[in-house]
Amino acid sequence: MNMLKMDKLDKIVITDRFIRYIFFICALFSIFAVFAICIFIFVSGLPAFREIGVLNFILGRNWNPSLNEFGIFPMIVGSIYATALAIIMGGAIGIFAAIFLSRFCPKRLKVPLTHLVSLLAGIPSIVYGFFGIIVLVPFLKSISPNGVGEGLLASSIILSIMIVPTVISICKTNIDSVSSSFYDAAIALGSTHEQAVFQVVVPAAKSSIFTAIVLATGRAIGETMAVIMIAGNAPFIPDGLFSFFRTMTINIVLEMGYATGLHKQALIATAFVLLVFILMLNFILNLIKGSNKRAEKKNKKNSGNNSHSIDISKNDRLDIKQINKKISRLKNAKFSTDLLKYISVVSTIIVVSVLLFITMFILIKGLPNITIDLLFGQSGNSKMTLRPAIISTAMLLFLSLAIALPIGIFAAIYMVEYAKTDSKIVSIIRVFTESLSGIPSIVFGLFGMIVFSNIFGFGRSLLSGSLTLTIMILPAIIRQTEDTLIGIPVSIREGSLALGASKVRTIFFVVLPCAVSGISTSVILSIGRIVGETAALIYTSGAVRYMPRGYMSAGSSFAVMMYMFSSEGLYINEAFATASVLLIIVFLLNTGIFILDGKSKKTY
Amino acid sequence: MATKKILNFDFEADELIKIKNLDLYYSSFQALKNVNINIKKNCVTAFIGPSGCGKSTLLKTLNRMNDLVVDCRIEGEVEIGGINIYSDKVNIYSLRKNVGMVFQKPNPFAMSIYDNIVYGPKTFGIHKKKELDEIVFTTLQKAALWDEVKDRLNKTAMGLSGGQQQRLCIARSLSVNPKILLMDEPTSALDPISTGKIEELMETLKGEYTIVIVTHNMQQALRISDYTAFFLLGEIVEFDETENIFSSPKDKKTENYITGRFG
Repeated sequence: MNMLKMDKLDKIVITDRFIRYIFFICALFSIFAVFAICIFIFVSGLPAFREIGVLNFILGRNWNPSLNEFGIFPMIVGSIYATALAIIMGGAIGIFAAIFLSRFCPKRLKVPLTHLVSLLAGIPSIVYGFFGIIVLVPFLKSISPNGVGEGLLASSIILSIMIVPTVISICKTNIDSVSSSFYDAAIALGSTHEQAVFQVVVPAAKSSIFTAIVLATGRAIGETMAVIMIAGNAPFIPDGLFSFFRTMTINIVLEMGYATGLHKQALIATAFVLLVFILMLNFILNLIKGSNKRAEKKNKKNSGNNSHSIDISKNDRLDIKQINKKISRLKNAKFSTDLLKYISVVSTIIVVSVLLFITMFILIKGLPNITIDLLFGQSGNSKMTLRPAIISTAMLLFLSLAIALPIGIFAAIYMVEYAKTDSKIVSIIRVFTESLSGIPSIVFGLFGMIVFSNIFGFGRSLLSGSLTLTIMILPAIIRQTEDTLIGIPVSIREGSLALGASKVRTIFFVVLPCAVSGISTSVILSIGRIVGETAALIYTSGAVRYMPRGYMSAGSSFAVMMYMFSSEGLYINEAFATASVLLIIVFLLNTGIFILDGKSKKTY
Repeated sequence: MATKKILNFDFEADELIKIKNLDLYYSSFQALKNVNINIKKNCVTAFIGPSGCGKSTLLKTLNRMNDLVVDCRIEGEVEIGGINIYSDKVNIYSLRKNVGMVFQKPNPFAMSIYDNIVYGPKTFGIHKKKELDEIVFTTLQKAALWDEVKDRLNKTAMGLSGGQQQRLCIARSLSVNPKILLMDEPTSALDPISTGKIEELMETLKGEYTIVIVTHNMQQALRISDYTAFFLLGEIVEFDETENIFSSPKDKKTENYITGRFG
């Protein structure tokens, strides 16, 4: 019945080995990318460090390129101030909202609210910046003592809105997954629901709450486009909530366009300082993870071995009967936890109303301005339309996904299907993939400018932009695919191998088809990232208003186009319309993820 | 590599599987100790014994599924059709094609019923629609599933009941025309009616295939097998015709087990 071709089997053995190496090389890509970014940014900024002096550069208080004064101390302080304020406001609100969503939320609100939060996460930073300058700054101006709306407070409010979704989603997932035995035990002792949640469940999730805060710090310190529009951008140390200031990221984007020589090198060196901050945060994250693992191991070893000792000297011992009587008289002291519950309700209301306000405001102002002419009309010097942006964004999407998808999927395949579980190489790859995903987009932008535009000679072109985006979306693809592959049961692979199919055939024909919905989710996430990306593209694919003629010509994506609309002041209606288009895209992408999520929950 | 000679199995040998002095280790744990057993062609051989005694492990050495286990080390000889299957010259894919396996839990692929069956033949280069249709028809008939699924071959296999899924998996393993069929507790996850159907199926298959089955169910071993091996702590305590094992066991430990005194 079945003719077995022997020479074909020999070929299978050879291709199996060959393809394994391809997977392995793809898996090393993240490590390679992180090193390349660090090295190229460092080497390109090195002359600035040498000429200015490291201490003069970092601690110098004057930034005045025309006088050859390059001190970035005001920017470092500005970044830290804005980030700290944002973390205090956004972190607190986010944590409490996560507690509400996880433990207090009525069942029928839970799903819609969770999706609202992920919608908030998908809104491009340029839209937040635009909202800031149109709504927040005029409002702050009216209450400001010195008549200035821009500055530290405006920036940190926008930043805190931006980090809230990150904080909520990480905290919620981890509070959800706290073992119910903790909760049950607390309830069995007579705790109220509120006490059990705030005194037992939340403390059990505290290390992941800390993780969320560290990640949010990274996001805030690396944010560029939202703050550039509302910070005022003067290079001074801020002396109050309403004073103009400048962050490191702003410094780079603002001046890179015309900088040359030492000035340009000083800006790249600024990016390197920013990168050091981010890598330090990553290091802290890994420390947390490492100590969690060690604690788990220790717990396993020491279980039953109580190291807690109580020293009771005889004279000051209280009568236990007295204490017991007192307990029976007491009512449940639940006031403080009830208060915390109300705080969590209020936090959730704030998050939801801010989100609704931002989206409604932009859609109401923007939707009437979306016209066929704006979307598809000819774009020129006298009139700007979105047609070039539609074409450019599509081209960026196509090329970067075409490169990143295979690399990311192959990397995940190597990590799940080939490497031994818990092997060193896999954990190293994971650490580097995490680090890659934490690098701010402006740093990617500079890397793309240095390597793709200058060294490779692609210039400001859609090709340079696509290659830069490829590196940016890779971590999400790797992680999502890895998670999906891990979730596919081993028995399915065994079924194929036991039939005599090779490993490669098993992976491509049996395992990957099961992972389609998970991989599609990563594609949608990447599309969202690309459509909303600005800072990484301005200096790689350029900010131009004409149609791209091919991958070697410059072109602006949607978000870059919106930056141009909103920064010129002449095109406010067009900016609203573009913002609405971006919001609609984000909304559609989120719906797509929602549908895929439902599909991927099927059992194998 | 390319000139490597692939050895041909002799599936006409009367003692199709010969295991000599087999020791198997999972890192430092010895899971099989000095196993010697010869399995006859076109018979059903049952492996019985308490959990963790190594019977599934031995089954998996027969199609080298143990290769997937990290730190698994094997000493001794496993001969199938006159060839030591752990020799470098053996093509592992050809081995697994000839030694099919049915798992404890039904594991259909997330594809249509039709695609589940033709996956194997396609692996070995059969692509003609007519041939594939023929394979699907024959194997589903052999697995006594044809009448139940003939109208929905293009529907997903995930929609079948547990018993139907398991028969589909049996059909799938028959699709590459194996000579030996390994079954690792194939009915332990099924209800009594499905179990009955699969036992009937084994009865009809045994004229054509050499079946080795691991089972916890002693009644099942008694009903379907010609030979039975009793395992304890990684060793074969007794191996004989099923009749003898159950009516007049030679070893005290075997007697204790089959009369339900431990395990």
